[in-house]
Amino acid sequence: MRSNKIGWLLLAPTLTILGLFGIVPFLYVLYVAFHQWNPFGANPGMIYNGANNFRRLVVDGEFLTSIYYTALFAFFAVVSEIILGYLLAQLFTKDFPGKAVFRTIHTLPLIVAPIVVGSVWRLMTTPSIGIIPYYLKYWFGYDLNIGSNATAAFALTVIMDIWHWTPLVTLTLLAAIVSLPKDPFEQAQIDGANRWQIFWHITLPMIRPAILATVFIRLMDALRTVDEVWMLTGGGPGAATRYLGLHIWKVVFPKTDYGYGSAISIIVLYLTLVMCWLLYVGLVSPRAKKRII
Amino acid sequence: MKRKLNLSLTALVVGLMASTAPAWADFWSDAGAKYKGVVLHGVTESTPPSNYIKDILAPEFEKKTGIKVEIETTSWDQMYDKAIKDMEAQTGIYDMIYIEQDIIYAYLARNFLVDISKSLKDDPSLKAPEFDETHFTTFANYFKNADGDLFGIPMEAFIKVYLYRTDLFNDPKVKEAFKKETGKDLVPAKTHEEYTQIVEFFTKWGKDNNLELWGTTAQAHTGHPASWYEFFESIAPTFGVYNWGIDASKNYAASVANGGTMNSDKSKAALKYWLHLRDIAPPESAASTWSETASTFAAGRVAQGLIYGENAAWIASDAEKSKVVGNVGVALPPLEAGVLEEAEAGKGYIGYYDGGAFGLPATSKNKEATLLFLQFIGQDSVQSDWAVAAPRITNTATYDDPKIAEMDKKLGGYYSMLKNDGKLFAGAPAYPFHAQVREATAPIFYKILTGEVSPDEGLDQMAAAAEAELTNLGYRK
Repeated sequence: MRSNKIGWLLLAPTLTILGLFGIVPFLYVLYVAFHQWNPFGANPGMIYNGANNFRRLVVDGEFLTSIYYTALFAFFAVVSEIILGYLLAQLFTKDFPGKAVFRTIHTLPLIVAPIVVGSVWRLMTTPSIGIIPYYLKYWFGYDLNIGSNATAAFALTVIMDIWHWTPLVTLTLLAAIVSLPKDPFEQAQIDGANRWQIFWHITLPMIRPAILATVFIRLMDALRTVDEVWMLTGGGPGAATRYLGLHIWKVVFPKTDYGYGSAISIIVLYLTLVMCWLLYVGLVSPRAKKRII
Repeated sequence: MKRKLNLSLTALVVGLMASTAPAWADFWSDAGAKYKGVVLHGVTESTPPSNYIKDILAPEFEKKTGIKVEIETTSWDQMYDKAIKDMEAQTGIYDMIYIEQDIIYAYLARNFLVDISKSLKDDPSLKAPEFDETHFTTFANYFKNADGDLFGIPMEAFIKVYLYRTDLFNDPKVKEAFKKETGKDLVPAKTHEEYTQIVEFFTKWGKDNNLELWGTTAQAHTGHPASWYEFFESIAPTFGVYNWGIDASKNYAASVANGGTMNSDKSKAALKYWLHLRDIAPPESAASTWSETASTFAAGRVAQGLIYGENAAWIASDAEKSKVVGNVGVALPPLEAGVLEEAEAGKGYIGYYDGGAFGLPATSKNKEATLLFLQFIGQDSVQSDWAVAAPRITNTATYDDPKIAEMDKKLGGYYSMLKNDGKLFAGAPAYPFHAQVREATAPIFYKILTGEVSPDEGLDQMAAAAEAELTNLGYRK
């Protein structure tokens, strides 16, 4: 009984902070989501409108387009980051000249603020001025114009995200790889397993928890990306890079449609949870089931 | 005796004047004494006039009053974001906010701002002797309510002008080629047809001569409201489409069917004209906002363009940033027939008169000290150096300052145009739903720019979207 009290006492600060900054705002957003509220409307107060905001979502072309592009963005960015991150992590387990310097340089993007990343990439890709369009034209005769080419703009946002966040994946997977026991690998080599078999049957299953955690973190981040994309493309051309985070920002801030913006936020949170749950079910549960059987 | 008396009287008058003068000059230290140590916080867009306040006027004010002023200069979006959040949540972080002329009506509708005229009337001890509301140009009217009370101290005021390269327009070789190709003299365009001809000529001239030169700028970003603004504030009015094509007197109608003009034939013609120019403008145009068009012009990449006046000074005079120093001319924007007459009659306008003021949020915790600072930046005496550093004129007397006359020559007559023809330009319409309608229609506009929707269909959709948003907001019944 006494230990329970001490436990609650120790947890109290965390629970208070979580409640104040996590639960209360969430409940408030949920409350606002059931209201029509635009402070610059003819009636600037909150008007209860039931589930109208959620009904509106279903037929809102801009929102649906935004979901589509966000899903594509998250898929390409996260998959590429995991593959590249794993390859780089493997590279860092080996010794090669200049490894320490390369590892430091490779980690640098992580400490750059997203807004700065967006600005730098914008400078590098601005048509006629940026270094990237210049060399693409010079070497391949390709005219890169992120203002008019939707596919190029989309691809650039993915590449920018990969550049910014792959080091995080590398570091988490590197930590997982170096902590693996050596015995199973030695045993597999003695048994004559080739590199692919070792990767598929030993390395991958053993680092699966680390991969899963990294995918969850990166997926959640990718689904709410705003700053970098805002700086690079502003969500354009058209709606090609108007990802969910940016869409919500535009609805809530410039448009000040707080009720509808809150409803979108709730739905996006729900979709993120569903995606993570599906991932968990797809990647972890079957294994757990097999083990039980 | 009489002479002695006269002398004594003169000495007395001189003595009195001498003793009074420091008292007047010392108003700031006297008035500021009560608020010494107070720190005022302001948020504004990072523009040349705002930076001047931050770097020059704020330190000067602190020196005179002991009141510290911290000005946060940030991007246009962030500025609004921060100011609105602060006033909405009533946190009172900011004592001064930048009010662009287009947002003032929304702020007034929400009672976000302090009535400066009334506050100074209620407490005359705060009234600076040199500050006088009547000294402002008529642009200050945008920051007044129906009773004529001032809610913001004008600090930026400029028009979006037709800027052209005098070195190219006066080059005999270029003139001859233009004459040969068009049969006309190369002079700044007065009509859209002439403007298009000049654009086509220079874009071709650049291509033929292997030059990085195009005929015009185009503020045509495909995901930033700057493009939306260029069309509705600078292009559509020159075709006779005013106030974004929304008619407040007809139940805020936007569509032709309901009495608006957003999707009218004139509006559609304007959009097609502008899209054609965009297509033959420099490649960066599709990613250009207001600052990038100025950079494009300053880099010598275009022969002409519509440029915000706040950038005209550095383009024309700062050799470190501009390649076209001394080669800049200004003219009125090209117009459709009848538009100039409508503007002169006060029934329309020919372009955008932009600017902003510093307002005092009702939530500020340092209202009195802020009122002192706002008057400080509104005095005639600080205006001329400010106007030289950043081309903005908010006080009538500034036009007559010799420094301004000198600068006017460098700017190709920009200040004269502001003074004489400023009345032909207009700011944003008095809508409290400015950002809301813009954001409701801008996504469709971006689709027009990318070619996903045709101009005609796009404008029809935009008019419908504007009306739907206005209904949703409760303005359209």
